[in-house]
Amino acid sequence: MAERTSRIGRDLIGFEIKFRRNRQMTAIYRALRLIFPVILVGTLADFINQAWLQRSGYYYQTLHVAKWAFQLKLFRQYLGLLSAGTLGLTAILVAFAVSFYLVAPATPLITDRLMAGIIAIIALKSLNVNRQSVLSNHSIQWLSSNLGLSGILVGVLVGLLVGNGYRWLINHQDPEHEHLEQTVGVVSLWLVVLTGFGFFWVSTQTVSLNAALLALARWPFQLPHSLGTLLGFGLLTGTCQWLGILGPVASVGGQSIEAAQNLAAVLNHSGWQVPHPITLHTVVDVYATSGGPGMVLALLLAIFLVRHNVAQRRMGWYCLIPTLGNFNAPLLMGLPVIFSPILFLPFILAPLACITLSWTALVLHWVPAVAYPLANGTPGILQAFLGTGGSWSALTLAVLELVISTAIYYPFVKWAGIAEEAIGYETKIS
Amino acid sequence: MKRRFRSLGAILLVLMALCVPGFLWRSQQRANVQANYRSAMAPVFLVPGSSATQNRFNALVAELNRETPHQHSLLRVEVMTDGTLKYTGSVRPADKQPIIVVGFENHHDGYATIQKQAKWFTIAFKALQQTYHFNHFSAMGHSNGGLVLTIFLEDDVARTKTHADRLMTIASPFNLEESDQSVDTPLFKQLSGNRKRLPRALTVYSIAGSEGYSGDGIVPFDSVNRGKLIFQGQVKNFTQMTVTGANANHADLPENQQIVALIRQDLLK
Repeated sequence: MAERTSRIGRDLIGFEIKFRRNRQMTAIYRALRLIFPVILVGTLADFINQAWLQRSGYYYQTLHVAKWAFQLKLFRQYLGLLSAGTLGLTAILVAFAVSFYLVAPATPLITDRLMAGIIAIIALKSLNVNRQSVLSNHSIQWLSSNLGLSGILVGVLVGLLVGNGYRWLINHQDPEHEHLEQTVGVVSLWLVVLTGFGFFWVSTQTVSLNAALLALARWPFQLPHSLGTLLGFGLLTGTCQWLGILGPVASVGGQSIEAAQNLAAVLNHSGWQVPHPITLHTVVDVYATSGGPGMVLALLLAIFLVRHNVAQRRMGWYCLIPTLGNFNAPLLMGLPVIFSPILFLPFILAPLACITLSWTALVLHWVPAVAYPLANGTPGILQAFLGTGGSWSALTLAVLELVISTAIYYPFVKWAGIAEEAIGYETKIS
Repeated sequence: MKRRFRSLGAILLVLMALCVPGFLWRSQQRANVQANYRSAMAPVFLVPGSSATQNRFNALVAELNRETPHQHSLLRVEVMTDGTLKYTGSVRPADKQPIIVVGFENHHDGYATIQKQAKWFTIAFKALQQTYHFNHFSAMGHSNGGLVLTIFLEDDVARTKTHADRLMTIASPFNLEESDQSVDTPLFKQLSGNRKRLPRALTVYSIAGSEGYSGDGIVPFDSVNRGKLIFQGQVKNFTQMTVTGANANHADLPENQQIVALIRQDLLK
């Protein structure tokens, strides 16, 4: 704390502390902290499955896992179940926890807190239901898609809505009345209202709320490729991720027609002539996602570069393995980066810097464009090297960008640590 | 100060260690990518039976293109007896699954002609591969067309370095028109003898038509049924189906609604 902090740093720290003192934000942060272990286990399972056991995995290919592993199929199925059972239910867990923590300070009764969480789950599910099954009066079918990491934002929104409403009802209840009657009244009122909202949505909209948000977030990704749109893409992915729409939004790359044509050109002709050198895939996927979208590997390095901050470092160790395999969800939720004003800036700026630099290098033909498919779980700095079939200049560029990104993250991580300590100190004395 | 960077150094070391397998594997990468590479385009070859031309499947393709979101473009190739090719129709540029009908100027029946047709098919296949750069495909053959494709798959496909995904034969007489079940024709002996050369990853559907209980009016059921002696155990999957009812006559089979549905479901999927 005695360390000298610049003016802008002090302002940011002040803002962060004020922001996180907000009741709504406190609930969100506590919810993220609560479900962090679940996300960590799910992500580890997903990482092992994707990188070690699937054909498209980095370790599967490089270490020839198929030759020495036994019961591969069985492990795949088991890990698939494990990650689906944890990551696949993220939105539900978030909705429950946010609502729970919003109501917690308003009532000493555990039943009220739990009930607020339960109602949030029901509200979320009534938005995520098979439309046809509701409208045709058949037995209702619940949807399980869109409840994964990409559904964190929806979970937060539903949690806030339900939690605040429940809180309001608690604050306005009649103290004279018998308690059981009160709870039944509050619960039934809220359930009727929220299911009504869900029904209204289902009967007027053709997609679930989660799917609608996702479609909105994906909409700009079908644009032509220039530096402007690449930067726009970086900004938008970053913002989406920061708001808690993690997961598939970011990985649009390898399957596009351009990528297929690039690969075909490289395989069918000698030499390295690529018809589409500048695409989202060759720039953003390869150079701006070391450690996952947002150059999170740089964030991890910055954490260990900053003078000792126990909490941050512990989180860094927990998230080490997934981050080295480009799975960024645990670190984003654990630190957290999601909904943190201080870390929003480097989380956006570092990828933008990388995109600009890579674009320049590609346009000036300093590095060849990536054409080979990228294996899942490839260490961030190696993606460009392997994607170009072993170009040392591409590797150098990737390392350079990691260094630059770490430098961008460094001051912000320091300030986030100071803010964290200040808030932690406050909660201890209060 | 030293302690401060110890963890960082450890992490950087781990990061570098994880990169080692990638560096070691690099020399095999190209071969690996090449082996797993599948072109975006995977044409479907249709080969008509004897006494039918490259126009044999026009009605079928029109039927297949009805009510589907993905229209298949239709290219017809006629292979002349001297090995030259005549094209009609075209392949739409972005079409990932065009239908290519390969017909032959000499489309008479008989063992010798089938052998020649198989070689002519190879000529057409190689020319099309040069033009469209596909490296995997599916195929359907009606009657003797199925035999032509089977010979091609046994003798020539390996040399073209393409991968055969799915083969559907419709009423293909693997024992020709021989109705005596105890007689093996030379063609059957050839197909059965070379069966080990069939692509291991191939999926095969053999469809028989049945009018009455012994055949489709031209091809005896036993002759179609012998497909199992060629494919079973050699390819990844082998499915045999028998279609009866209206239009189960040998010549009508390609327009039979059940078979059209099977083509849609199994061949074009």
